[in-house]
Amino acid sequence: MIFLSNAVIVFLLVEALLLSLLLLALYHVIPIIRHWDFADTSPRQYALEKRSYLAQLIIFFTLAFKIALLPYFAYMIDGLSLMVPGAMCAAGVLGANDYGAFLLGLKVAILFGVGLWIILNRRDLQASDYPYTRLKYLLFLALFALIAFESALDWLYLSSIATTTPVSCCSSIYGASTLGSPIPFGLSKEELLILFYLLYALCLVAALYSIGWISLFANAALIYIGYYAVVYFFGLYIYELPTHQCPFCMLQREYGYVGYAIWGTLLLGGFFGIASALFAPLHGSTTRALYRLSALCNTLFVLICSTYVLRYYFLNGVWL
Amino acid sequence: MPAKRLIDLLFLLLYRHRRKHMGVFLLSTLIVFVLLSFMLTAQSLHHTLFSALEQQPDFIVQKVRGGRSVDTPTAWMEEFARIHGVERVAPRLFGRYFYEPNETHFTLIGIDPFEAQSSKFLETLVAGLDLKCFIAEDGMLIGEGVKAVLDHHHFFDYYVFRAPDRSKIEVPIMGTLPREAAVLGNDAVLLSAERARTILGIAHDHATDIALFVPNPLERDTVRDKLIMAHFDTRIIAKSELEKLYERLYNYKGALFLSLFTAVLLSFMMILYARYQGLHGSERREIAILRAVGWSIKEVLSLKLLENALVAFGAFALGFVLSYMYVFFLQAPLLREVFMGFENLRVHLWLQPHLEGATLITVALLYFTPFMAAVLIPVWRAAITEPLEAMR
Repeated sequence: MIFLSNAVIVFLLVEALLLSLLLLALYHVIPIIRHWDFADTSPRQYALEKRSYLAQLIIFFTLAFKIALLPYFAYMIDGLSLMVPGAMCAAGVLGANDYGAFLLGLKVAILFGVGLWIILNRRDLQASDYPYTRLKYLLFLALFALIAFESALDWLYLSSIATTTPVSCCSSIYGASTLGSPIPFGLSKEELLILFYLLYALCLVAALYSIGWISLFANAALIYIGYYAVVYFFGLYIYELPTHQCPFCMLQREYGYVGYAIWGTLLLGGFFGIASALFAPLHGSTTRALYRLSALCNTLFVLICSTYVLRYYFLNGVWL
Repeated sequence: MPAKRLIDLLFLLLYRHRRKHMGVFLLSTLIVFVLLSFMLTAQSLHHTLFSALEQQPDFIVQKVRGGRSVDTPTAWMEEFARIHGVERVAPRLFGRYFYEPNETHFTLIGIDPFEAQSSKFLETLVAGLDLKCFIAEDGMLIGEGVKAVLDHHHFFDYYVFRAPDRSKIEVPIMGTLPREAAVLGNDAVLLSAERARTILGIAHDHATDIALFVPNPLERDTVRDKLIMAHFDTRIIAKSELEKLYERLYNYKGALFLSLFTAVLLSFMMILYARYQGLHGSERREIAILRAVGWSIKEVLSLKLLENALVAFGAFALGFVLSYMYVFFLQAPLLREVFMGFENLRVHLWLQPHLEGATLITVALLYFTPFMAAVLIPVWRAAITEPLEAMR
């Protein structure tokens, strides 16, 4: 029944197309991994270099589309909430069966891998002797396995969403009624906020002085803490409701689709921060650009979140 | 290379190979045009339906007897009004009136012009309607479809309804519903509650059904439970169920179309691939010269990709503009009929201009992915041309 939704058909179609393209790339990548030797002057190496152009071209484009597909996935899931009884936003649809939550996590993880591949590919092409070719294709192998797994999960997930069994809505999944504090480490809301802004400051410092391991740690922590801060603190100001705690409702039209910007900047900032740490041993302009991008995205993220809080306070004169 | 030079070169290339690109450009434009026209029409209808649905009550309670709905006693209203969370309870009077000469049905809707909500609704529905006149003459407002039928039978300013009690009731026509309301109001006849009761044969202490407004979504489930417990001979229709029904209906036709369109997209890819596969002698020489003057494979690749991207984007933009004009200015002739049924009165539907980013993104995904998939290999094959061989 769920296949009757337009977005689902488009999504699965595009996904199948991308997977077959990646399969094509795989066919060219395997001989490259086995026989690549830049110092070799044999015709085989020469042919491999040409095939490498095709492989990286296909992989690059496919992965770029893959990035565009994640927000589309969120949009599609959100649209399905009309058809699934009980669901009021994507939270309910994701919880409709056991695949949903895991699938979303997998998609984000794959996106991190995709980002790393694109940066590595860029570095590889900039250098004159293609030093990372084998490395990037090995990374591609891992990505391919993950993406194939993800596509299978997509089918399983979408085909097993029941349109007759009711699911929980976000207010019962993330709701205030659950026993105990959902915030990790037993933090209070104030402590969570302080930690959040401190981590942001740490990220900025790490980016300013290009300290890789701090950037790695601080950005990973910011994603984790930022998620909870948005769901349990900033979200309340976005929804202007003290009881509404949900990471998905903000993706809807009622809130100006701001969720895409919030989660997008958080993930991008974290990704660039972590990537800059991983690429730090390579030095060069890429790393510095990554630090700058990380700082930019994190700042945007914090600005968007904080603006909602301040705006609410200015309009209503109280904190939630 | 300075950006301007590159752009000059790009357009020069496009112009030189215009023959080769033209076919692809036209075909791509057509693909985008058909896809987007369909989506825009569907989306406009969807939007109109859902914005009409927004004003609908959150619950409708009907009395049923043996599975058939019968008139609902208005005494229930007070009972329902006492449920916490229910903001407003209103009786609804409507029914179908069989118009024999044409073998069609009109939908009669009774409206209480003295009630604040419905008079406001009337005024927003029909701009410039004189409410006092409407009340004084006890007239009716009719949908465009009804008007066409009545005009055909020369009922220009009034119509004589035949009531169940064998009386004949002449009702003057006060105006026509705006064309924006045609999706739902095409076969509608709006008249005063009193008149509607007589024509439809509804007793004074009864209504067709009872509408409940529950503004807070969190309270709706509880209200629903209480309604279920209140009477055992009722059917309760929630607005969310209607929304789901409409959504399914809307998705059904869209999905059917998209599934079939998959075949078109696959053949589109094949045509693109075949078209770009063969390299002309002049094009080979061109690439060879670029390679000979020091361009790397990578740079030739990006040049060729840019060339194709320009064609793809140009076709997308043109397809978008054309389909927007076709759907919203020309009102999608032919295509519109796909969405319309012919069961009752013929609907002259007015497609309201409405554009959602999501629709554009959906079409873009569906178009650019196959386009990209089809051109990558031909572009690569062109870029790795051996310069020496080609120039020989």
